[in-house]
Amino acid sequence: MLRSGETFEIINLSKGEAGFAEEIKKMGGERILECIQCGKCAATCPLALAGFPFFNKRVIHAILNGLKEVLLNDISIWACQSCNRCTETCPRRVDPFEIMMAMRRVAVRKYALPATAIKGIKSLYDVGHAVYLSEAGEPRKKLGLPEKPPTTVADPEALAEVQSILRKTSLATLGIIPMGEFGIFGI
Amino acid sequence: MKVGFFIGCNIAFNRPDLEQAVRYTFPALGVELDDLEGQSCCPTWGTMPSIDPVGWYAVGARNLAIAEEKRVEMITACSTCYGSLAKTAHKLQTHRETRNRVNRLLKSIGKEYRGTSRIRHVVYYLYHEIGPEKIKASIKHGLERLSVAIQPGCLSLWPSEIQPEKEADVFHPKILRELCEVLGASAPPYSRILDCCGMGGMRSTDMEKSFILVERKLVTMKKELNPDLIVTGCSSCLIQLDTAQEFLQNKGKINFAIPVLHYVQLLAVCLGAEPQQVAGLARTPVLHLLNKIREG
Ligand code: SF4
Ligand code: SF4
Repeated sequence: MLRSGETFEIINLSKGEAGFAEEIKKMGGERILECIQCGKCAATCPLALAGFPFFNKRVIHAILNGLKEVLLNDISIWACQSCNRCTETCPRRVDPFEIMMAMRRVAVRKYALPATAIKGIKSLYDVGHAVYLSEAGEPRKKLGLPEKPPTTVADPEALAEVQSILRKTSLATLGIIPMGEFGIFGI
Repeated sequence: MKVGFFIGCNIAFNRPDLEQAVRYTFPALGVELDDLEGQSCCPTWGTMPSIDPVGWYAVGARNLAIAEEKRVEMITACSTCYGSLAKTAHKLQTHRETRNRVNRLLKSIGKEYRGTSRIRHVVYYLYHEIGPEKIKASIKHGLERLSVAIQPGCLSLWPSEIQPEKEADVFHPKILRELCEVLGASAPPYSRILDCCGMGGMRSTDMEKSFILVERKLVTMKKELNPDLIVTGCSSCLIQLDTAQEFLQNKGKINFAIPVLHYVQLLAVCLGAEPQQVAGLARTPVLHLLNKIREG
């Protein structure tokens, strides 16, 4: 119940976007229509436990109602831990984790992604690692390890392979990050 | 025995002491490590999985193909790497069209995914391949009277359907507990053993909310077990449980500190490794405890 002075947002369901669920299916959330909103996934979801408004079950509900704008304006999907508790517990094999990912794929195409995600994507392209600390060389050396691990950061040819793959994916057409021929030196 | 070491970003750059622990432990147990030169990010969830599934599987399959070329399986001490690569392998083995698309991408860089290698979680590898008996027989320092709270790591448990190795009952994980027990420690269950640590997408999106989860987890461990040490199977859990404590102390949310180690770090010290080398980057002090273990 509302106390005096409190407001709430009315969601106009008739403004829902028809075909949203179909879009989610194409983006990898293939079994969304199997959801019966039982809430088992929500009962295990860290997003729900931490107090995010849109956890698995509610994201599915919003998609089924066509509420794309609502989801695009909310950060919850990006806080999904990809922990797969929901996928483990769903009695209908909906794979809610994949639906969270599919929703992110839709959001990315509307450029509705947080700066931290862009940073990780750029880092994956530039050095082959989503998490990278250029100052890690010193602590590594102190531990007796080579300054660079034997990965793409120490191997320009290997990095070129990863970049070549990434340039053939939809990341290249989205323009979220600069992807010149020569990696970090490109434009 | 030889196995490929899939290092993973967080271990290589945030916790190279854990990398050093793996490099100490496996040879000490008779397993040679292959560096899988040219490996990249698994890749993790906020990158290609959130953009383009085929691109995700292709970057993952490239890593698996490196292991295939060397005819080795891969191990990882990071549950996210395990989850991402296990999902990739499962998809490529069950979905012909995706596999063909991925292999077309790999062909352009002279590689191919054949499905002849697999990703294995270090905890399961140690349990199944080395075995508790051999571990017990190999250690120089035991953990008698030490009590441990374990944190398995989400993706080492779920989704069990696609994982090559798993717990008999994923809702009551026992393997990590048993591996701690063979070192001499007690590792009882507690009520929030399955709870998420809050690392990952949540921490980078909303630190405060992420810390609600880690605080709840730590407080529960403290109240129910009052452990000497937290032991995890996942590098992300390690970073979160280790780094959050100082922050929570400063905010007045907790008034205790429990050292945190990845299982491989603890095992390394039990096998004779120098604590500073394999756990020297911990933020919550742990070296005093490890030195005591070495002194017996
Ligand atoms: S557990 Fe499955 S069926 Fe139930 S609400 Fe979640 S996705 Fe829908
Ligand atoms: S994968 Fe995401 S939506 Fe599913 S339970 Fe974990 S945090 Fe929640």
